Amino acid sequence: MKKSNINGSQTATGVLLASLVLPGLAALAAITPLGAAAENAPEKTTIAIKYGHYNDSQPGWDRIKVDAAQVYVQAPIAGDWSIEASGVSDNVSGASPRWHTQNTALSGASHMSDERKAGDVKVTRYLARAAVSASVAISKEHDYTSNALGLDARWSTDDNNRTWTVGFGSASDTIDNTYSGGSTAINRHKSTNEFMGGVTQVLTPTDIVQFNLTRSLGSGYFNDPYKSYDQRPNQRDIWIALARWNHYLEKFDASLHSSYRNYSDTFGVQSHTLGLDWVQPAGRWTFTPGARYYSQSAANFYLDPILDAQGQYDQQAVVARANKLYGSNQSTDQRLAAFGAITLSMKVSYAFTPNTLADVKYESYRQTAALHLGGSGSPGLDPFNANFIQVGLTHRF
Amino acid sequence: MNRTILSLLAITTLSWLGGCSNLGQVNAWDKGNLAKPMMTFEGDPLDQRFVQHIYASKENSSGGYGVGGGGCGCN
Repeated sequence: MKKSNINGSQTATGVLLASLVLPGLAALAAITPLGAAAENAPEKTTIAIKYGHYNDSQPGWDRIKVDAAQVYVQAPIAGDWSIEASGVSDNVSGASPRWHTQNTALSGASHMSDERKAGDVKVTRYLARAAVSASVAISKEHDYTSNALGLDARWSTDDNNRTWTVGFGSASDTIDNTYSGGSTAINRHKSTNEFMGGVTQVLTPTDIVQFNLTRSLGSGYFNDPYKSYDQRPNQRDIWIALARWNHYLEKFDASLHSSYRNYSDTFGVQSHTLGLDWVQPAGRWTFTPGARYYSQSAANFYLDPILDAQGQYDQQAVVARANKLYGSNQSTDQRLAAFGAITLSMKVSYAFTPNTLADVKYESYRQTAALHLGGSGSPGLDPFNANFIQVGLTHRF
Repeated sequence: MNRTILSLLAITTLSWLGGCSNLGQVNAWDKGNLAKPMMTFEGDPLDQRFVQHIYASKENSSGGYGVGGGGCGCN
């Protein structure tokens, strides 16, 4: 807390420093970014590395595997500035269905092996009770390139009880699968502009809430070139409302994080996302069990599977319908269907020293139509399961 | 429908936060617990990026947590 700009902030800093001498807290506080109120430039450099593994499956077959190596650096510059940079290299392999959740000899699946490299840089200027950031990001795959920029500003009230945020982001994507022998997407483009406003408010000595509203305007190529007969609208506009509430429980010296996200877009999809995490420090350890529930409605151009008299997937009827609708918006992508999903997670962190932290996290994800909010979702889809594992190390100096 | 609900929700929340003079009047010396690392919203940036990237590739919805990120052709 190098730059305390007002008396209140100085007092808060004193209280904060006092809290850090509690056993176990000092080590964690030295590593984790602080504060939802007034911001200060970081005093130390932080380096973090993380390895992530992901695999998913449906009954009878394994689908996608991802191995991701990530690195993150944040460093102070000249007292009032900071720079953040991160990079990721993903190796993706496996197969995804061309139709719904099918992987039969008739329908086949889209087999793939790809590497994604992405990086971003963000520069922040800290002012009296405010901060302004600018960022650029790039992501490259053999068939997909995305370039993005972002600008955001945050400022706090005199008492540091409220912080306002505004942000703007713009992304320009190019999709071209000719490299891999495809011909369904040749030099196609998509652009997205995002506008965000938000407020973070201290409510009580143990409660802090945040509300963000995001408007996204997208145009261009939204098809999945690896799905059969996939034809989506060339415009997708989105509203997203996000509410978060962190509550401190003095009895347990723990915090409960809850969140709700409401999403709707012009594809006709509406979704609800609920998150709940319990953060429990215990000496040098921190345990964070969590749960997430997600439910979405189907896009208005999503087509359900056609089943035959025996209740089996009728591939010929699906193809005949797709041909009949050719030229109109249509998709059999499971991700545009109505379904629900639950994630259960556990993260364990250990602080070796005040400046060195290791963590491991496991998440189990299950997506089914039966978990759709308010009743059954889209019919005829197989359940979808996934596991994510992350292992990380953070050092500050 | 959702657009109207979201707009009303945003206006109501912002009015509520802006209009209630007593709400959120917490003194600096009472913020010791709020300043603890466990009370931050953002948490571990690499963890969140990895997880949000996965959700964005397996569900229709994504975003709402910030701006400036790029897209991907994820399967």
